[in-house]
Amino acid sequence: MLSELDSLKSEALAALETLTDEAALEAFRIDYLGKKGRLTALSAGMRDVPVEQKKDVGAKLNEVRDAITQGLATRKEALQAAKDAAAVAGIDLTLPGRPGSGVGSLHPLTQIRDLAVRTLRRMGFTLADGPEVETEWHCFDALNTPADHPARNESDTFYMPDGKLLRTHTSSVQIRTLETVKDLPVRIIAPGAAYRRDEIDATHLSVFNQIEALYVDKDVSLADLKGTLEFFFREVFGPGTAVRFRPHFFPFTEPSFEIDVKLEAKGREARWIEIAGCGMVDPAVFAAVSKTRGDTLLDPEQVTGFAFGMGLDRLAMILHGISDIRHLIENDVRFLQQFAA
Amino acid sequence: MQVSLNWLQTHLDLSGYTTAQLSDLLTFAGIEVEGIEEKGVASDKVVVAQIQSFEQHPNADKLSVCQVDDGSGSLRQIVCGAKNFKAGDKVPLALPGAALPGGFEIKEGKLRGAVSNGMMCSAKELGLGEDTGGLWILDSELPVGKPVNQIVESDTLFDLEITPNRSDLLSHLGLARELAALTGLPLKGERDHAKATSKTRAAKADEVTLEATDGCPYYTARIIKDVKVGPSPAWLKARLESIGLRPINNIVDITNYVMMEMGQSLHAFDLAKLQGGITVRRAKEGEKLLALDGQEYALLTEDLVIADAQRPVAIAGVMGGEETGVTESSTDILLEAAYFTPGNVRRTARRLSLHSDSSYRFERGIDPQQVHGGSDLAVKLILTIAGGTAEDVLRVAGEPPVLVGEVELDEVRAHRLLGMPGLSADEAHAILEKLGLTRLSANKEKSRWGIPGYRLDLQRSVDLVEEVARVIGLDRVPAKFTAAFAQGDATDKAYDHAMQLRQALVHRGFNEAQTLRLVSTAQTKDALGNPTGGVAALKNPLSEDHTTLRPSIIPGLLASAALNVRQGAERLRLFEIGRVFLKMPNGMVREEERLAILLSGPVAPSSWHAREPKAADIFDLRGLVESLPGVATLEIKPLKDNGAFLLHSELKAGNRVLGWIAQVHPARARALDARGPVYVCELLLSALRQGSSGPAKFTDLPRFPAITRDVAFELAADVPNAKVSAFFAGVKEPLLISSALFDVFADPTGVKLPQDRKSLAWTLTYRSSEKTLETAEVDAAHARILAALEKALPVVVRR
Repeated sequence: MLSELDSLKSEALAALETLTDEAALEAFRIDYLGKKGRLTALSAGMRDVPVEQKKDVGAKLNEVRDAITQGLATRKEALQAAKDAAAVAGIDLTLPGRPGSGVGSLHPLTQIRDLAVRTLRRMGFTLADGPEVETEWHCFDALNTPADHPARNESDTFYMPDGKLLRTHTSSVQIRTLETVKDLPVRIIAPGAAYRRDEIDATHLSVFNQIEALYVDKDVSLADLKGTLEFFFREVFGPGTAVRFRPHFFPFTEPSFEIDVKLEAKGREARWIEIAGCGMVDPAVFAAVSKTRGDTLLDPEQVTGFAFGMGLDRLAMILHGISDIRHLIENDVRFLQQFAA
Repeated sequence: MQVSLNWLQTHLDLSGYTTAQLSDLLTFAGIEVEGIEEKGVASDKVVVAQIQSFEQHPNADKLSVCQVDDGSGSLRQIVCGAKNFKAGDKVPLALPGAALPGGFEIKEGKLRGAVSNGMMCSAKELGLGEDTGGLWILDSELPVGKPVNQIVESDTLFDLEITPNRSDLLSHLGLARELAALTGLPLKGERDHAKATSKTRAAKADEVTLEATDGCPYYTARIIKDVKVGPSPAWLKARLESIGLRPINNIVDITNYVMMEMGQSLHAFDLAKLQGGITVRRAKEGEKLLALDGQEYALLTEDLVIADAQRPVAIAGVMGGEETGVTESSTDILLEAAYFTPGNVRRTARRLSLHSDSSYRFERGIDPQQVHGGSDLAVKLILTIAGGTAEDVLRVAGEPPVLVGEVELDEVRAHRLLGMPGLSADEAHAILEKLGLTRLSANKEKSRWGIPGYRLDLQRSVDLVEEVARVIGLDRVPAKFTAAFAQGDATDKAYDHAMQLRQALVHRGFNEAQTLRLVSTAQTKDALGNPTGGVAALKNPLSEDHTTLRPSIIPGLLASAALNVRQGAERLRLFEIGRVFLKMPNGMVREEERLAILLSGPVAPSSWHAREPKAADIFDLRGLVESLPGVATLEIKPLKDNGAFLLHSELKAGNRVLGWIAQVHPARARALDARGPVYVCELLLSALRQGSSGPAKFTDLPRFPAITRDVAFELAADVPNAKVSAFFAGVKEPLLISSALFDVFADPTGVKLPQDRKSLAWTLTYRSSEKTLETAEVDAAHARILAALEKALPVVVRR
């Protein structure tokens, strides 16, 4: 009996090695381990085994069953593994992937604007907005611009038939904000479009993009202006960025400065690039707004503030080395796609 | 403004400063240096040389080998490419080691095998003129060996941008004054120029009459007789030419010189051509003037003119008349020096598009107190240069207005605004004094200051603070970091929402476009979603292409699509987020933020996986819209097609209008050269925002399995799916938890189904939240629904 079991075991294990598919394995299982299988038949012979041998034969039976069961499982796994491997055999992974719906792109102006907005928000500024079809008062008068200032002329500024105009700068949002603000401090940024009656060419657009910032409180000084703007530009252009302030003139700030940043334009040596205008809010601006507010929250004797504004189109051109500003509005996909994330 | 360094040096000694240092000094005082031009050669190594002989270069047709006398005693061999010389000509020779303008250094060398020990130069190569196509042939009298810089003075020219508040810097004296303040250098001869020396008398009514004192409060005239008009002396010509002015004759040149010297614009009339006395008045209806530029100008009654008894003879402060100008034949002149108010001059100059150096200065404002001194300086120069006899008094009408006064400086507020803890009042005061201000009184809180007449910009305390900040610069200001908690509002949310939409579209393969907000009148026909049809047209458009503010983003996107099609693009996926402008029935312009999407061509880029992916259709666009944040459910309300679009529909969610969707009319698409259908939609950002409502609410996950049953039914082809959908959404059957369309079948041939019929297949899902449903329960519910369906709609259920 014991020798019969041994030979069944070696026969079964040898047979397993020849099996190559699921069906054969199942047939094998039935042949050996099934109800009418050969091992089952042999184990029925236990009845006739003398008592003193039962223990040994029983152990042998178990050993053989385990070995066949184990062998079957191993064989099954091996076959499955071979099948899995065969399923990917021959795949050339160096072939290009499926493009899905393709890769889109954010417009370079959006990318720059968002960089500026995210940075200034971290610094505690919130967004503000105002109309683009604006009154002359909000765009010029309240911003301390003389009545006969050239910018007001119809040759320089677009007007609507009703006397309103297309804002020439986002600075009008300063006035919109100051008119309605309920409390100090005021810390706002206003990205937006502005208009100038310019022929469109390689360096000019009649509609361009700016971002404006304003900080007003009881005791804002040039030190706040300097600290805020240096920090801002270093956040945007990198920690080591050199920033310089050149005295300048704007009607709505005094003192006023232009800001230069030393930048490596694409493919060029680092140079000073005029990037923004800024200054301390002129008291005349507070006086004009206070008059329409009819209260003293923005009393020019009590509050101070700084404002700055910069053009985003030129900045995008410098940063990306864009040669012609018209690329920014033509939306040639070959251009846009260069700014895909 | 062009400024000559040599000219400046007549007022102060700047020899201790390099060009770069001066440039920085000006820049950081708020005077932007837009360009620097070196004229002539500073180097002694460019000398007068004489060409003794020359012969053809053995190896080069276009070159000559010349033997040149440079005054050293031995001849020097120079290879030269120019042809405009002969033996014996004297020319400038740059010796080895000479640096030419542009930093180009001359070295000994060989040209095509022939030794060349220097370079013979053209005027242009020496920075002294335009290209004349050859060597600069010098005066034959000049001695060889003499450095050229002793013959022609070298100079440095600064092109400066003077900000509009600093009209006092629009002259060499003004700039010298500023530089003296910034450097501490003394001004030579102080301010002699500005000082008036002549006596005055009130002009008689028949000499000068001021009729419009608001435009001209002060006018002076000086009569000079028996002058000899002719070319100016070399020094005067050189001064004017150095800053780009063309010399005309000595009298005109002197008036220009005084303007550039001290900022006082003058005008000289030929006295013989004036008929009667001078009147400063408004132009009369229909009056015209032939100006010195040869153009005739039609004048309006708001224009200020200088007139004689008969007619206007000059446009006040802008330009003189041709007929009364000083010419070679003039002998007696009337020299005008006046103060014209800025607004008048600006309006007239701009309306006539007639901008002169004179109008530039009057527009920005001149110092009325220097009018008399300016006249005196010109008279002095005329008598010296052109001879003649001046009347001993200046005829004067009106008074020079006083435009500056005393200014009180609020020390405490100034200190706070500057934010410089280390800045003492003494230091600030020293700066103001250096700039020519006079301290009248001072205590801890306030100081009072006298303002020089030329500083028209210093009117308020803060103007003085600016001067201090300008001179000190921001280097000494500490950088302070202040922040405050910032409370976001609707504008912040709108910004975030717009960025979220942008990202969603970019991730779906769309390119963000940015089109111009100004469009042509014709383009407004492409507008989507302009229910009132009104457009906001500009009053003064610059071109026909940009006459109106866009009522929709689609016109711009279509133009961009056309451009891309022309570049060969087949697959267009563009979007833009931006503002549109709608003219409302009450005439107001409503500004609205929108998202526009344009879709055309294959759904996916072509690849080896799919060489020709299927073309996108309007359901791709609808599906895209449905997937956007804030658009949960979408209803379609067809609108009348308007010629520009097909399938023109309103997109709604309940009562909210979300926007519009359409196929661009094929005729329009063909006009844009599009190769296939173009689909567009435009959505209202405010409506989309309303759809994104706060944090999502969690619903318990179902604990019992769902069972599905399909149903197919036939109905008339023209019954919209929305009706079926509304039935399933509204049917009252508690076990039905969802329904979805999974097939639409129609047979255009009419074989399997009549052509006017279609078959829909829906799958219905049943579930109870309390137990696992029995088949019988589901069957019963399904049967109830099918019965209700047949009752509600004209359908035939296939059983």
